[in-house]
Amino acid sequence: MTGAREQILGAIRDGLRHAVLPDAEADAGAVAAPRAGTAGTVGREKLWQQFTEALTALTGRVHHAASAAEAAGIVAAVAAEHGARTYLSWDGDQLGCDGILEELASRGLARVTYDLPFDGERRAAEVAALGDVVLGLTGSDAAIAEAGAIVLASGPGRGRLASLLPPVHVAIVSASRIWPSLPALLADAPELVGRGANTVVIAGPSRTADIEMTLTHGVHGPKYLHVVVMP
Amino acid sequence: MPSAAAAFHRRIDDALADTRVRAALASTMTRLTNGRAGALASLEASDAIRDQARRIRAHTIAHLDTYLDQFARNADARGCRIHWAPTATDATRIIVEIARAEDISLAVKSKSMVTEEIELNAALGAAGIRVVETDLGEFVVQVGDDRPSHIIAPIVHRRREDVARLFQEKLGARPEEVADVAAITAFARRLLRRDFLQAGMGISGVNLAVADSGSFCLVTNEGNGRLSTTLPRVHVAVMGLERIVPNAADLGIVLQLLARSATGQALSVYTNIISGPRRPANPGAPGAHGAPGAPGAGEPDGPDQLHVVIVDNGRTRMLDGPLAEMLYCIRCGACLNICPVYRHIGGHAYGGVYPGPMGAVVSPGLMGLDQWSELPHASSLCGACKDVCPVRIDLPHLLLTLRAQAADRELGPWWLRLAMPIYAAVATRPALYQWLGSLAARVSQGLARGGWIRHLPGPLAAWTAARDFPAPARRSFLQTYEQRRGRTGNAS
Repeated sequence: MTGAREQILGAIRDGLRHAVLPDAEADAGAVAAPRAGTAGTVGREKLWQQFTEALTALTGRVHHAASAAEAAGIVAAVAAEHGARTYLSWDGDQLGCDGILEELASRGLARVTYDLPFDGERRAAEVAALGDVVLGLTGSDAAIAEAGAIVLASGPGRGRLASLLPPVHVAIVSASRIWPSLPALLADAPELVGRGANTVVIAGPSRTADIEMTLTHGVHGPKYLHVVVMP
Repeated sequence: MPSAAAAFHRRIDDALADTRVRAALASTMTRLTNGRAGALASLEASDAIRDQARRIRAHTIAHLDTYLDQFARNADARGCRIHWAPTATDATRIIVEIARAEDISLAVKSKSMVTEEIELNAALGAAGIRVVETDLGEFVVQVGDDRPSHIIAPIVHRRREDVARLFQEKLGARPEEVADVAAITAFARRLLRRDFLQAGMGISGVNLAVADSGSFCLVTNEGNGRLSTTLPRVHVAVMGLERIVPNAADLGIVLQLLARSATGQALSVYTNIISGPRRPANPGAPGAHGAPGAPGAGEPDGPDQLHVVIVDNGRTRMLDGPLAEMLYCIRCGACLNICPVYRHIGGHAYGGVYPGPMGAVVSPGLMGLDQWSELPHASSLCGACKDVCPVRIDLPHLLLTLRAQAADRELGPWWLRLAMPIYAAVATRPALYQWLGSLAARVSQGLARGGWIRHLPGPLAAWTAARDFPAPARRSFLQTYEQRRGRTGNAS
């Protein structure tokens, strides 16, 4: 593919000689960093208030828990609300809530684990077996106040399907990890972009307005989103 | 090319005659426009952020060779396989080859305009590979053998009843399964979930790639973008070569404007940032390039192969000259929503994959003016598109540039080519101009009834076919000016 690569890069270099590009400063090696404030300049409490308003408007719900037992109580209540007996989850040491998996087990909830094979048929069968799981539990790397959004980086023990396949997603997030906006977060922690093979910013439950602008939730992703804020 | 022009005018007439579509367009575009205005109003210093986003895009395009190469190298280092496609044919051939090599019979696809542009579905279909569109709107388009009419809201031209009937006729839905929008959505979800589980390949576009990390991001609301890039073992991402920003901080700034400008959301529901395929337990092990990773300790899910197809298909041609600014575009659709012409004729009338003011520049920009010389005229040059553009692209100026190019290449109608040199000759001779002006005024006075001319003769009839022309004043401005000056004795 070297030929095609050289062809395209060469065509770009040729094109740039005649390109009319208004506002492209020749010396702008780096564009100035965003001037948005960081979590320090605005009170954290105020940011969580903003987060809660934004996520609630998107039909998500925000809970607060002081301990793993309390968090497990919230998860168990959500599970009961939706008739969930089993759940997908990140590994216990990735959730930012030590001991919660044991607490959930003691409440009669069974964690379903998986490791998708490369082989097509076995892969389809394994995913199909996860299709009945109603609840997914994850941690979260950050929260974004203005959008009511949470940020999840994938990795070992941090499966993507837990926040994607079941109709109910519960995410645990640390109160200290909130930023006012996505630009503020990415200026502060740019490494987050490549931390996981997949880093996803989730702003509310799955939705569509494709038909007559009628808002409908849960079209492909989860229909219900709960965020549990831990100290 | 008169035949292309005639076809364009016929599409416009058809669109204008469809009052249902016009009503749907009017209400949807108003909601999207209001949503955008509210979302930008709630963003502190949104004007400064837009200036910054423009500088980011301008800077990136000015150094596109560097950033694209940097992205490709970094993505490769993360385990992506990079493919370079100078043309649409190259791109579809590459993707068909990947599908064949991996023995793929079913692919699920997330909404992507560049794959529409390269006509990927047809190419895969011809190779015997079934492709399923998974965005609800695009799925309806596919089932109805239709075309999207908006880059963000593909079935803005369809009513709920149309979709219900389509699902009953083509997919065997029962009446209760299409009773309302929620039921239709649930029906599509069930149907598409089966395909998600079976598909060996997921296909997506790329909203923006990040040069310094080799990542790219996909923005969706439904979650189909995530499913398409997580469940199948092979993910193919198709990327227009200009869809890039230098670094993560720049990505944040542009994303903050993208969803706000498109739908009025602060962020889309899912901003999905992808940096290479599923990571195996031991990054140095053979798992990194397609074979399964060691079980247990690696990532439990995600695609084992990730291909990125970088598509030119006319973009370097657009870069080479006065249209290059169009490459700043982040495809939010705000210029469609605000455009009085788009609002009346809808997306299908434009003919190309990209409608509205941006499409009127992109279609001729990518594919040349020969087939698209009429599109730049589908604008009143009111400037609303420039006002709402998150990166402030001067669309009216680009449209005028294309009109001038079309005139230089004599692509306009014969009478216009004849008339313009005559007009130029007259307009540069003031005495002749005034004499002919007063003559024309007298003639048109004769044509007018009640102050309006309802039918102009010859080629000018096209203008009065849908509009009345105001009768010119009896006296020209200069005559009035001279008279008043004579009366008052000075020029004020």
